[in-house]
Amino acid sequence: MTFELALTLTQTLLCLTFFQQCLEHLKSRDSLWIAHLVRSICCGLVIAGVLVEPALATLATLSIIYLYRYQGPYNGGSDRMGILALWCVTLAHFLPQQNWKEIAFGYLSVQLVLSYFISGWVKIINPDWRSGQALQDVFLFSAYPVSEDLRKWANRPYVLKTMSWAVMLFELAFPFALATQSSLIAGLVIAGIFHLANACLFGLNRFFWTWLSVYPAILWFQQRLTGA
Amino acid sequence: MQAPLNSLKLLLPALIPSWNFFDVVAPSPRIEYVILSEKFPLDSEWRPFRPRPKRISTFEMIKRLFWNPHWNDTLFATSCAERLVQDETEHSINEIFLRILEDVLVGPSQPPKTSHLQFRLVFIQRTGNELTQEVLYISPYREIKL
Repeated sequence: MTFELALTLTQTLLCLTFFQQCLEHLKSRDSLWIAHLVRSICCGLVIAGVLVEPALATLATLSIIYLYRYQGPYNGGSDRMGILALWCVTLAHFLPQQNWKEIAFGYLSVQLVLSYFISGWVKIINPDWRSGQALQDVFLFSAYPVSEDLRKWANRPYVLKTMSWAVMLFELAFPFALATQSSLIAGLVIAGIFHLANACLFGLNRFFWTWLSVYPAILWFQQRLTGA
Repeated sequence: MQAPLNSLKLLLPALIPSWNFFDVVAPSPRIEYVILSEKFPLDSEWRPFRPRPKRISTFEMIKRLFWNPHWNDTLFATSCAERLVQDETEHSINEIFLRILEDVLVGPSQPPKTSHLQFRLVFIQRTGNELTQEVLYISPYREIKL
C-alpha cells in the first residue's frame, strides 16, 4: 500500500467516523450544534476529496474546541484516538518534506501498536486480571454492560478468566503481528472482532469505528518497516 | 488566555496517550436524582438516572454500532460523575444537571411548577465477595424552570 493511498483511506474512514459522531451529537441537541454542523461539512469535504487540507485544518481546530467544551474527550479513549489520528493525518498533509510526513503518519501506527501492547501490559501486571476477577468486576458492577442480563456473565468465572487471558495475550502479542503482512492482517481481524465484541457488550461503538479507521495506516507502516 | 492554555493541556494526553484501558476496575458511579416540590430530601425517593434495560436484542446491539447517541451521552455523564468526585467543577455539575433535566422534561410525568432538582453519586465497588455502595457526592438544589 502506498503512502498516498494509506493516507487517503485513513482520512476518509476517520471522517466517516466523525460524521457518524456528529449526527449523534446533533440528535442529542448539544449546545455545540454549530460546531457539529461545521465538522460534518468538513468531513463531507474530506470524504469527497475536495478542499481536503483546509477541511482537515478546520477539523483539527475544532478538536481543540471540543476538548474545551467537554473539558476532555467526550467518550474517553475512542475520542483520544480520533484526535490523535486526525492530527497525524493533518500533519502528514501540511509538513513540507516527505520523510517528515511519513514520521507523522508512522507515529499514528506506533501509537496503534502501543494502544494494544500497553493495554495488555497494564492488565497482566494486575493480579485481578490474571485471576479473571477484574473482568468479573467489569460485568458485575461497572457502568459498561448495556443490559442487566449481561451482568449474569459475572457468574461464569472460568469463562471470564479464559477471556481475560485471551485478551491480555492477544494485546501483548500484537507487535509481533508486524512481522509479515499476512500476520498483520490476521492480527487486525482478531482486533476488529475484539472491538466488535466491546461495541456489542459495552456499547463502545466509537472504539470500533475509530480503531478500524486507523488500520490502513498500520498496513502501510508494516510495509515501510519491513521494506516489503 | 486561560482557555487556549487549558485546551492545550487537554490536547496533550490525546497526542501522547497512556492507553492504560481498564488497568484497574475502579468503583463505578451511579447517578440518582430526586425532584422536590419543597426542599426536603428526607422523605423523597431517589430515582436512577437512565437505568439500563433488562435485556437488549442482538438486532439492537448491531443497530447501536451505527446509532448510539443515548448510550454515548450516558457514558459522558458517567465520566462527569467520575471527574466530579476527583475535582468538583461547575462544568461536571452542569452537564449532569442538564441531562437529568432533559430526561425529566420529556418523561411521562411533568414535575410540579415550582420544583427543585438534586442529584447524588453512588459509587459501587466490590469489597471481598460483596458489593458495597457509598454516596460520595450530593449536589446542591437547582430550580426547575418550566
